[in-house]
Amino acid sequence: MNSDGWLQALAGELHRRGLDPDLSRHVVAEAATHLRDSGEPPLQVFGPPATYATAVAESVGAPQPGGGVGVARVAMPVRPPHTPGPVRLEVRGITKRYRRRPVLTSVDLTVRAGEIAAVVGANGAGKSTFLRICAGLLSPDAGRVRVHGTLGYCPQSGGTADFLYPEEHFVLVGAGRGLHRAEARAAGRAHAGALDWEPAGRTQARHLSGGTRQKLNLVMAALGEPDVLLLDEPYQGFDRGTYLDFWQQLWRWRADGRAIVVVTHLLNQLDRVDTVLDLTPAREMSA
Amino acid sequence: MTKIWTVAELALREVARRRGVLLILLVFPLAFYASRRDEHTGQSIRFVCLGLSWALSTAALFAGSAARGIEPRLRLSGYRAYHLHLGRLLALWTVGAVLSVPYFLLVRFDQDDVRYGAIALIMALTVATAVPFGLALSAILPRELEGTLVLLIVVGLQMVMDPADTAARALPFWFSREIGTYAIDHTDSGYLARGLVHGVTLTLALTALVAIASGIRLRQRRHLRFD
Repeated sequence: MNSDGWLQALAGELHRRGLDPDLSRHVVAEAATHLRDSGEPPLQVFGPPATYATAVAESVGAPQPGGGVGVARVAMPVRPPHTPGPVRLEVRGITKRYRRRPVLTSVDLTVRAGEIAAVVGANGAGKSTFLRICAGLLSPDAGRVRVHGTLGYCPQSGGTADFLYPEEHFVLVGAGRGLHRAEARAAGRAHAGALDWEPAGRTQARHLSGGTRQKLNLVMAALGEPDVLLLDEPYQGFDRGTYLDFWQQLWRWRADGRAIVVVTHLLNQLDRVDTVLDLTPAREMSA
Repeated sequence: MTKIWTVAELALREVARRRGVLLILLVFPLAFYASRRDEHTGQSIRFVCLGLSWALSTAALFAGSAARGIEPRLRLSGYRAYHLHLGRLLALWTVGAVLSVPYFLLVRFDQDDVRYGAIALIMALTVATAVPFGLALSAILPRELEGTLVLLIVVGLQMVMDPADTAARALPFWFSREIGTYAIDHTDSGYLARGLVHGVTLTLALTALVAIASGIRLRQRRHLRFD
């Protein structure tokens, strides 16, 4: 099955499961982007359309076929009454233009310890640009970012060394964070275990599947327990189980007092985050 | 120092796993040597040094380009820019030293009546210069193709330009021809001194250029403040 056929089948399956049409379009667009960027066959990345549609429907809590109240949602842990921690990330007045086209205009965001902020918006709205500016990888035309503590960043893709094994990545990042080799390996394995991944073994990063490479990326970002985590669509290529594990892990980090910023397309997850930053330009929202 | 050694060790591991590249690196200067083996005695030595410089510069260019994706996040993980570029320099200098030993032995046992100490000096300076030259290209030119084309131009010019021409001194491996003349044609020590000064100066300048380019690319941007 080619990508177009697979995407069409996915759209049908999502519709059959009663998913909101806007959300369905987002999911199909996201899958299409991933398939185009990775060049991998859809069945290998996502599995059969019906299975993937079921996983998406369950994770976003869509009504099941035939109606009824059997809504399967990602089980969110019971959270004690929210007491905001100290401010960890302060973003003020970020403005960025590419040539003459404004991408971000006076964007503000405050994230406290123990909070998750979701950054949403259409393709090209500047979500990754915003995160790269927060990470200091890109300069804005105006505005400032203040980080109270240490920073971990997980890019949308790349960010790994093709010829190194996963545990060597842990050692490399761990050394920067001041961890000894054994500590870095143990911490990496622990974070990987939370994503249902066993990183031991001699598989070079270039031979990992897209989803597993993203797990590696995520573990690298979390090593050394940084105070602020910036995650740019880290779940690209994750299978259903890992996607659920990913959100569970996010909530654990939040409970541990981390400040997390995550770029996401899956809008029905937004009731499980503390702050939503929508970067969709106003003219598109009113259209 | 732990951070520099860790970067160096893992960069070495990366290079060691690129077996195809290593094989080409090893054979490439040999092809240069063999192509002039039957001509004038010294030409094969000059060419093998040129081949070595080209091979190492290319390896450094590609290693530097491959690291561009991971270095920004390493910078965020607690590394300073100098940890990263010094670690990579150390790794590639080690690769260069290991690669040049068999070629020195080849010259030592295949060529008569040359100053072997000067040949060793050329090879040491070639390794010292070629690595930061390749890394500097990767730091300045973001795409490998552009860097490779510049390398082709530089090495091509190095082959065709008259070393006596003043402009030839601007080329990074001019010292190789100058010290080569001293080693092969037994000229006076002025050739050795000029070559040595050129090689050392170029090595220092290119290493400084790598440090500056890496420092600028991996700098902490002004809009971001850590408390």
